[in-house]
Amino acid sequence: MRHPNQAALALHAGGDLAFFARWRMERHLARCERCRDEVAAFSDFREMLPGLAEPPDLPWNRMAAEMRANIRLGLAAGECVRPGERPLREHPLFTGARAAVAMASMAALVVTGLMLERPTPALSTSEGRVVENTANGIQVREGTGAFRLMNPGARNVTYSVGAAGSVSASYVDAKADGVTINKVYAE
Amino acid sequence: MRSKRTIPVAAATAAVLLGAAGVWAQETPLPKNSIKFNVDNSPLSLVSASYDQSRSTARGAAMVLDLDIDVTLRNTSPNRIRGITLRVTSQEAFMGGKGSVTRASLNVGQGESFTVPIQMQLVRPTQVSAGPLVQVDLDGVLFQDLSFYGTDRLNSRRYLTACETEAQRDREHFKQILARQGKDGLAQAMRESIDRQKDLPALDVRVRHGNGAAVASAGLASEHEAQFAFLQFPDSPVRPLGGSVRIAGNQASEPEIDVRNTSSKAVRYVEFGWVVSDPAGRQYMAGALPSSDANLYLPPGSQASVRQDSSLKFSANGQPVNVQKMTGFVSQVEFVDGKVWVPNRQSLNNPLLQKVLAPSVEEQRLSVIYRSKGIDALVEDLKKF
Repeated sequence: MRHPNQAALALHAGGDLAFFARWRMERHLARCERCRDEVAAFSDFREMLPGLAEPPDLPWNRMAAEMRANIRLGLAAGECVRPGERPLREHPLFTGARAAVAMASMAALVVTGLMLERPTPALSTSEGRVVENTANGIQVREGTGAFRLMNPGARNVTYSVGAAGSVSASYVDAKADGVTINKVYAE
Repeated sequence: MRSKRTIPVAAATAAVLLGAAGVWAQETPLPKNSIKFNVDNSPLSLVSASYDQSRSTARGAAMVLDLDIDVTLRNTSPNRIRGITLRVTSQEAFMGGKGSVTRASLNVGQGESFTVPIQMQLVRPTQVSAGPLVQVDLDGVLFQDLSFYGTDRLNSRRYLTACETEAQRDREHFKQILARQGKDGLAQAMRESIDRQKDLPALDVRVRHGNGAAVASAGLASEHEAQFAFLQFPDSPVRPLGGSVRIAGNQASEPEIDVRNTSSKAVRYVEFGWVVSDPAGRQYMAGALPSSDANLYLPPGSQASVRQDSSLKFSANGQPVNVQKMTGFVSQVEFVDGKVWVPNRQSLNNPLLQKVLAPSVEEQRLSVIYRSKGIDALVEDLKKF
C-alpha cells in the first residue's frame, strides 16, 4: 500500500486539500489506520496552537509564488551538488583539459617571447659603454643599444681585448687566403 | 566528445599565438640606401657591394638589424696588397658605434679582386629611420713594401704593419725549418703549432673604458694595488720599469706601467701584453695594454708612463676569474718613423707565453693550410711570399 506523504496528511488535517485530493485521501484513510493516526496527530497539534487555526490575513498568492520560486531554486541547487552529475553549465570555460590548454598556450607565448629575445642579451643601463666578446662575435653596448661584429661559422676564433676600450676577434678565412680581424671600440 | 572539442580550440589558440609572435618578430628587408660605401680616390676600386640578405627585425621594444655585407674590391695600384682595414660606423642606429674589419695576410696583385665580408648586428631601442644606417669607409691599405694609404683614423697603419711584420717573421721562421729539416720538419712544426692552439686557455674579458670606477659587479672583494712582474726581452726597444693595477676580485682597474726607451730612436707607441694568474695557478692572456697618449713622444733614454683609465673584468666558462698575479711583456713598439717592432720567435718561446699567447694570425693561417690542404699546399703558399 502506498501512503500519502506527511505534507498531504497535514493539509488534510487542516482541510486544505483540493476536492479530488481530499476524496482520494478519505478513501485511503478509510483503509489505513496508521495514516488516520497521523491525521489525528496533526489535528491535535492544530488545536494546541489556536493561532494557527485562525491565521491572520496574509497575501497568500504572493507567498505561494515566492515559495514556488524558492522550491525551484532549491531543486536547482540540489542538482548542482548531486554526485556523478554534470555541472549546471554544460561547457565551462576553464576547467579540465581547457584549463590545461589555456595554460599551455600562455607558456608557449612566454617561451616564444624568450626565444625571440634570446639573441639579445640582457642589457644593463648601469655599466656605461662596455666592449666584450659574445658567443659568436664581439660587441660594444650601452643601455639598450648594441653594435656587434659577428663571426658566425668561424673556427678557432682568437679574442683579444685592448685596455684602451676595444676588443677584437681574429680568425682564418675558410679558404685560408687571408685572416679576418674584427674590432669594436668603446670610443 | 570533450577531447575532440578541445583539439580545435588548442589549435586555434596556438595559431593565434604563433601569428601574434610572427607579427611581433616580423622581418623586413633593409631599404636600398641603408649602407653607404666610400673607397673613392684610393688605390682600390669598388667592384660590388651587396647586402641583399640584410634584415631588420622587431624584437619586443628593440629593433635588431642584421647586416650581411659583401664588399668586393679591386687593387688598382702596382703594389701587392698585404692588408686592408675598413671602418664601419653607425652614428644613426647606435650613437657613435664604431668598428673595423681588417683582412690581413693578403697577397693581392694589381688588377686582382678580393672580397671583404662584413657581418654585423645593430640593436637599437626604436624604429629605423630613413637614411644610411651604416657607413663603410676605407681606413687604410698596407702594401708589400710596407707603404700605406688611408685616413688611418683607427691606427690601421700601425696595426697592419705589426701584422705584416709578424707575418714576415713567422713565414721566415717556417721557411728556415723547411730549408733545414725538409717537409717532415715543417709538418712537425705545424703539428706542434696546432696542438698549442688547442691548449690555449680561453678567458672572457669585459672592458669598460673611462672613469676607472668598477664595472658593476656584485660582491666585489676588497680592492688592493697589485704590482706587475715582467718578462724581459733582450732586443726590446723599451724596458718596463714597474707597474701596478687596482685589483678587486675578478676586476682590474687603471693599469699603469712605467717604461724607458732603451733604443736609439724615438718611440710614439708602446703596447704591453698582460697575463693574469688565478689563485689556483691557472694562467690566461688577459689582453693588451696600449699607451693612451695619442701624441706620445718618447725620445731615446727618456721615461714615460703607459696608463689606461679603464676596468677589465675576467671570467672563464661563466665563472669569475680572480686575479692573483700579473705578468707583463712588451708586445709592440712603434717608432716615429712608422716602423714597428714585435718580439722575435726566440723571445716568444718563453714557457709562460707558449702556454697563454696565441700564435700570430699568419701562423694560424699557415697551420690551417697544412691541416686542410696538406704539406705540399703549405710549401707552395710559403713560396708565394
